Amino acid sequence: MPHDGPVLAVRLLRVGAVPQALLRDLAARVSMVASLPCRVGVAAGVEPVALPGRAQVDADRLLLGLEGLPREPGAVTAGVTDADMGSAIFTHHFGRARHGGRALVISLARLKPEFYGLPQDRGLLLRRASLEFLHELGHVWGLGHCRDNGCIMRFVPTVEGIDNRGTAFCAACASAVALPPALAPR
Amino acid sequence: MRTVATESRKLTILVVDDEMIVRDSLGAWFREDGYRVETAENAREALRLAAEGRHDVAFLDIKMPGVDGLELQARLKEVAPDLAVVVMTAYASVDSAVRALKAGAQDYIVKPFDPEQLSALLRRIEETRALRSENVRLKSALDGAAAPPIVGRSPAMRRLLEVVESVAKTDATVLIRGESGTGKELVARAIHQQSARRYNPLVAVHCGALAEGVLESELFGHEKGAFTGAAYHHKGKFEQADGGTIFLDEIGEISPKVQVELLRVLEEKRVTRVGGKVAIPVDFRVVAATNRDLRAMAKAGEFREDLFWRLDVVSVEIPPLRDRREDVPLLAQHFAGCLGRSMNRRNLRLTPAALEALTECDWPGNVRELQNAIERAIVLGRKDEIDAKDLPTRPGGGAPTANARSLEELERAHIARILDETGWNITHAAAVLEIDRGTLYNKIRKYELTKPDHAA
Repeated sequence: MPHDGPVLAVRLLRVGAVPQALLRDLAARVSMVASLPCRVGVAAGVEPVALPGRAQVDADRLLLGLEGLPREPGAVTAGVTDADMGSAIFTHHFGRARHGGRALVISLARLKPEFYGLPQDRGLLLRRASLEFLHELGHVWGLGHCRDNGCIMRFVPTVEGIDNRGTAFCAACASAVALPPALAPR
Repeated sequence: MRTVATESRKLTILVVDDEMIVRDSLGAWFREDGYRVETAENAREALRLAAEGRHDVAFLDIKMPGVDGLELQARLKEVAPDLAVVVMTAYASVDSAVRALKAGAQDYIVKPFDPEQLSALLRRIEETRALRSENVRLKSALDGAAAPPIVGRSPAMRRLLEVVESVAKTDATVLIRGESGTGKELVARAIHQQSARRYNPLVAVHCGALAEGVLESELFGHEKGAFTGAAYHHKGKFEQADGGTIFLDEIGEISPKVQVELLRVLEEKRVTRVGGKVAIPVDFRVVAATNRDLRAMAKAGEFREDLFWRLDVVSVEIPPLRDRREDVPLLAQHFAGCLGRSMNRRNLRLTPAALEALTECDWPGNVRELQNAIERAIVLGRKDEIDAKDLPTRPGGGAPTANARSLEELERAHIARILDETGWNITHAAAVLEIDRGTLYNKIRKYELTKPDHAA
């Protein structure tokens, strides 16, 4: 289902225990990278559902919950959770969105350097989270994965992949959807 | 909105699982990465889809009601032998893993899947399939590269080579006309080898040699069960020529029914297999050949006029050998060299008298007949020098059998020639004729053949 008209704003909602300051900083970065106004809030009524036998929340059900939240026309609902996300099929997800949907969700758990036994790095976490947000926003715009190494829509299964992947849309992806001028390739 | 990644040519995947969430999630994940995906919820549905032959890889869940994934794997091998199979399960066991891999599965993966491993697995399968098709393509290109060159310095042949060079650079359909034995397939190969399609297959079909039903199946392929004996789906020559050139020899011999089907394929560039419903897009260039006057046949209603015009975009005429006698010595020396090398007789040469005799011959069977004459002279002769008397030629005529009318006349002339060539050595002549000595004596008596005085 295509998104109902152009994306005009983002509502960045905390799901669970994400520090408010981190969410605000992330909103500032998202607003910068996506060139869209971004407000923060809480995903009231959206309860993460644990996957049976796994210390993870169900990404698909979380996305479904976020899609069910009331929203203003042109706004995209973006959930941010600290919990590790997985699904019945996959061991983990950095983010989740439906093609042409109205919501996306990203998990900070595997974006944190400390998940891999490395020292905390708030700046790196914010960079990864904002890039993962932009990738999922591409799916909301109807884009699939791209084979261009330099394109943010390239599928990467690891956090190193996110660090090394391009940070912008390639010309082919950009021409496929109406990107905000700030996101068009230079 | 379109999905950018789906534009590249990627694997077509069949996901078989009785759980809808697996089919939907896995299917969506593959599609997001640009793969074409179909899903089936049971073995029956999977077998039906796989038999259509569109898929490169199937992901099979082991635990399904009725026919389980491992049994399905065995059945799929029968309907789609080229299909790569990945077995998946939420209940991994050494026993099932060993059974799956022993039965030829590419991999055995456990739910939930690690996206990194799944992505690497798909890349591996893609690489294997790309290597396999590259192998087929290179083999085909090597076959083409091994084709002999077009030999000839006469003005007619120079003009022909110029036309071949110019037309090869285009993607235009070519109709090659010429008598039997003039080398129409050689010209088709030259066009393909000089074209941008040269790294893709050149697929030749000798239309005149096949019955209507067989030709349809050869050209367009067939689905499993399309007719009695169609145990597997079969890719036709058009599909095999995807990206390359299809050479349709003896095009004037095809039936009106196949003419209609061929016209549709040429117009739409899509092929529907016999017994199939799906029109498969195919990228090919057509080079056709005939020794008949297709234009006259079209006027007489024996060949579809619309098909004739579709084929006769660029017409290439190969002159008969009698109209370019100056090429005969060059061709004869070329064949003597090639055949001599293949028979380990590298010092073979044709005497001036032999070349003169060959040049005076009419060669109704054209280059092919000339080649056969040289080959026969090499096989039967023992010296490195081939002289006029070693050759089955008559000035101004073709081989001595050329004017024979009845079967008996033909047999008499042929036996006489072989006896002459072998110096009336009965054992040798009988061996060449592949009959026993007694039969040969009987035939000599019957045809009243007499040993000439000069014979050894």
